Amino acid sequence: MPKTLRVLYSAFRMAMLHWIADPQWVIPNVIAPFIYTFVALTLFKEARGPFGLYAVLGGGMMGMWGNTLYSSGFAIEFEKWQGTLEEVLAAPSNLLHVIAGKSISNALFGLTNMVAILLIASLVFRVPLGVANPILFAFSIILTLLSVSALGLIFASAFVLTRSAQVFTNGLETPIYIISGSMFPIALLPFWVHPVSYILGPTWGIEAIRIIAGQESVSLTFWLNIGVMLFITLAYVAIAAFLFKKVETKSRRDGTLVQA
Amino acid sequence: MSLLRIFFSSAVFSFRAQFSWLYPPMWLAMKFAMSLSSMAFFVFVGHFLITTGNAPTSLVAYIAIGNAMTMLSWNTVFSVINITSHDKWDGTLPLLLVTPAHRLPLFVGRAMIHVFDGMLSVAISFVYAVFLFGVNFENADILALIVVVFLTAFAMAGFGLLIGGFSFYFRNPLVFANIFTFILLVFCGVNFPVQDLPQPLQIVSYIFPLTYGLDAGRRTIAGATLTEVAPLLGQMLIVGFISIIFGYILFRSFEHMARKTGRIEAV
Repeated sequence: MPKTLRVLYSAFRMAMLHWIADPQWVIPNVIAPFIYTFVALTLFKEARGPFGLYAVLGGGMMGMWGNTLYSSGFAIEFEKWQGTLEEVLAAPSNLLHVIAGKSISNALFGLTNMVAILLIASLVFRVPLGVANPILFAFSIILTLLSVSALGLIFASAFVLTRSAQVFTNGLETPIYIISGSMFPIALLPFWVHPVSYILGPTWGIEAIRIIAGQESVSLTFWLNIGVMLFITLAYVAIAAFLFKKVETKSRRDGTLVQA
Repeated sequence: MSLLRIFFSSAVFSFRAQFSWLYPPMWLAMKFAMSLSSMAFFVFVGHFLITTGNAPTSLVAYIAIGNAMTMLSWNTVFSVINITSHDKWDGTLPLLLVTPAHRLPLFVGRAMIHVFDGMLSVAISFVYAVFLFGVNFENADILALIVVVFLTAFAMAGFGLLIGGFSFYFRNPLVFANIFTFILLVFCGVNFPVQDLPQPLQIVSYIFPLTYGLDAGRRTIAGATLTEVAPLLGQMLIVGFISIIFGYILFRSFEHMARKTGRIEAV
């Protein structure tokens, strides 16, 4: 296995093992998106239109983001608490790859939220949940998951330098739900928010997921959304790589990482 | 005098303790950001329904006021439960339990500054509701509203102490802090009336002081006087006091168990 993949896999596996060893940590990550979706489903109960789809798919995306942001915030924090941060930094593996492996693992865990929401939506709220094109639907979800993870990497690089990662984690969760239009069309947002919406990969991802859930034939709009999301995701990875390099160098030079 | 001193020092130290991990400017910034973001999310969900002709325009005011007052829960429920978490993580719990201080003022005092902090969060949220989402406060009896918010914050702090006392038994009270802060959005009539919940769940709604507080708050903003909402406030205070009593019993029984088993932080 190539070295990068091996590091990604090891970090992914370690994060999964941590979740399994201490599953109570799942709750803080998924509770907000779960409750928000439950509230939205109750509000949408009597409404006519694609509201059920918005609530369920938006809730799934929110679950991924909630978990990713949380893992980004705590990826370094947990290492500090456990006294393993120095070892992780001293290892020849790239810190970005370590955090990326954890981030993907946690975004994947966030999908459990989507499963719970799907069950509640169909059993309690009787939302019809037929997916027109299951293969491309799954493909769009996986790409969105990677995009969310890549966005989490950018935040993680900044979180390395602060003692307030936990606070940022709480504070950034809902704004991204709003700006990416997870539960409503972004056209409802003030016009000055739109540029911010468009530079978020999840905005394009959730739109692609909604399109492919509703129609069997693949439209150009679907591929356009996927293409833009991929482009943005690659840009996130490039920015995160640059930031991690900077942050890592600064941390090694100043010797204040553990105290930060 | 000694009881009052314990009450005030417990109040001050419990509040100041959060600044060991949270810089004051960050605390203030988060107060402004979080007040807006949770309200805005649900207001836009409401807008989605309004613009598609599925809800009346009054839904925005309903949601904005509901979320503004629910900001209390971050201070009086989340933060109060989290005091227990930090006592365990920071290793201060054994020190607290060996002090000869009377436990009642020590226990109740820890939530008290969070009551006023919560009122500040609600005030900020009301400003957003008026200036960003056009909620009309023209008929509101402001003095009555301040009293309603204060009493709701106090009763909610009682609820926070109850869950805080309960979560002493668990290794990670943060989990309960998250659960009980967010489920209020479902049960208390924050974004939709309690009557929209299935019948069995509606009973659950009335164990939360916020349900009464929100009802009283909305009525006061619509022009009701303090006398008119007094029955609601009375019911809320009864729920709040019962919560404090049960929370205190749980706290004392935890203390007893911790002393007996020697597993103070781990239980």
